[in-house]
Amino acid sequence: MHPSKSTIFFTVFSGTGYGIILCLSCLSLITQINFDSDFKLILIIVSFAFICSGLLSSTLHLGHPERAWRSFSQWKSSWLSREGLAAIFTFIPLVLFYLLWYLENNLFIFFLHLSSILCLVTVYCTGQIYATLKTIPVWNNKLVTPIYIINAICMGALSIYCLACFYEVKVIYLYHLTISSLVLCLFFKLTYWYYINKNTKSTANSATGLGGKNKNVSLFEGPHTGKNFLTTEMINKIKKEKANFLRVCFSILTCVLPIYMIVQEASLIIDIFILKLSFFIIFIFAIIGMLIERYLFFIQAKHVVSLYYGENKV
Amino acid sequence: MTSLPKKQNKKLGLVIDLDICVGCHACAVSCKEWNTSGHSSPLHDIDPYGDDPTGVWFNRIHTFEVENEINGSKTVHFPKSCLHCSDAPCVTVCPTGASYKREEDGIVLVNPDTCIGCKLCSWACPYGAREYDEEAGIMKKCTLCVDKIYNENLPESDRVPACVSTCPAGARSFGNLGDENSEIFRLVEERNGYDLMPEQECAPTNKYLPPREKNDQFSSDKLSSVTQDNDFTFETWKEIIKDASK
Repeated sequence: MHPSKSTIFFTVFSGTGYGIILCLSCLSLITQINFDSDFKLILIIVSFAFICSGLLSSTLHLGHPERAWRSFSQWKSSWLSREGLAAIFTFIPLVLFYLLWYLENNLFIFFLHLSSILCLVTVYCTGQIYATLKTIPVWNNKLVTPIYIINAICMGALSIYCLACFYEVKVIYLYHLTISSLVLCLFFKLTYWYYINKNTKSTANSATGLGGKNKNVSLFEGPHTGKNFLTTEMINKIKKEKANFLRVCFSILTCVLPIYMIVQEASLIIDIFILKLSFFIIFIFAIIGMLIERYLFFIQAKHVVSLYYGENKV
Repeated sequence: MTSLPKKQNKKLGLVIDLDICVGCHACAVSCKEWNTSGHSSPLHDIDPYGDDPTGVWFNRIHTFEVENEINGSKTVHFPKSCLHCSDAPCVTVCPTGASYKREEDGIVLVNPDTCIGCKLCSWACPYGAREYDEEAGIMKKCTLCVDKIYNENLPESDRVPACVSTCPAGARSFGNLGDENSEIFRLVEERNGYDLMPEQECAPTNKYLPPREKNDQFSSDKLSSVTQDNDFTFETWKEIIKDASK
């Protein structure tokens, strides 16, 4: 599949924003999250900026962004519509949470949990858009939606961790949450990579109905010599070596490096400024790693239509 | 509404005979000609006279080679357009309701005024039936020539999709595949018409008729007798062809 920049940017950035809310909600269950107002403000700004920039970029790949409001109507059948609705509804409790939290009103906790449920629903819907497409066997996989959710949580946890380091705030249990979500993220992704491409159902035989016993079907001539919408949108290839290299890049940048840094932080005797700077760099690397993961998610996904364009099995 | 109609009595669709198709691409050209000036007009082309032309087509003709260890290889021309599926996944994924399946005849259409161009329907279709129009910013697809088949300004014999009326070999048939008494339904029964990619569970309306196996009896015995027979007439030829197509 064609890795559309706006879709990649949207899922990574909105996911991170939603992840921050999810993590705050998790932390509030086991500890107090009445931080000082500077730290609260930066968390509010960062999470809101991530969510909004992602959502806005998601409309960029549309042919008619001005008609985007129409996509709230078909929630009965379409996961894309449900995602849009959930994303909009999230803003109501989210904004109330921001206000009450900043004003130190204890009601904030209710709106935090409510908005975190809606954040989870939104990310779940995003995952389901891909996971329900039978035409792309590597997406039509039980791990796809959990991966979207765990990616959001680990990026959220890492954002809070890096900001806490920057503002020299000590948040209890944040260490455990960040490490465990990063480990889970890596584990899920490695499992996913191990299992994809193992359940191929559609073949050139089933696509044309011409094959069978002692009969082998192959494309003799495509419908035209040039490219078309289908070949540019659905049929993209990446060399196996390059894909493997990018998989390693993701694993190191998003998971291994932050885990190493967080675990080693206490034993590192470096200047506090250097420490803050290194966490800032770690965070940028983690975002880059996540963008790479999403890019791979698209570029490695084979659509069954490629069976009509020379592929023998998908 | 992008939910599928619950009841479908009438299922208009095409039956494509792979035994007859000669791969001339006339159906694809005729389709483009009709639709670029009809319901979905215009079907944009990008760089049409340049080095790298692309554009929107509803019908494309692929050619496959079927290697057969016993009977030898065969080249099969394979036209492919929207199959107007009963369980059309392209319809249910649409977030706006622009993509819909008509209850009255089962034709799957896109409303050009409400499509937001998110392309998700094209991802959901296993057959590559939907093509995005870059210039118009919306998705387009085969309409089964909905503006032709019901057009009362045309003579009744012309009220079939453009690809069907154009096919010089008669490889394409059009009709109601939901009616067990229709001619087209019986044709599918007789020739063991089949679905493409049944594992995708879309229940396509369009059916494909498999190429006939080579009849060795016909090719060797009958033909050699023909060359030696001085009384050979056109009528004899007709007999032979009739035998062969049984």
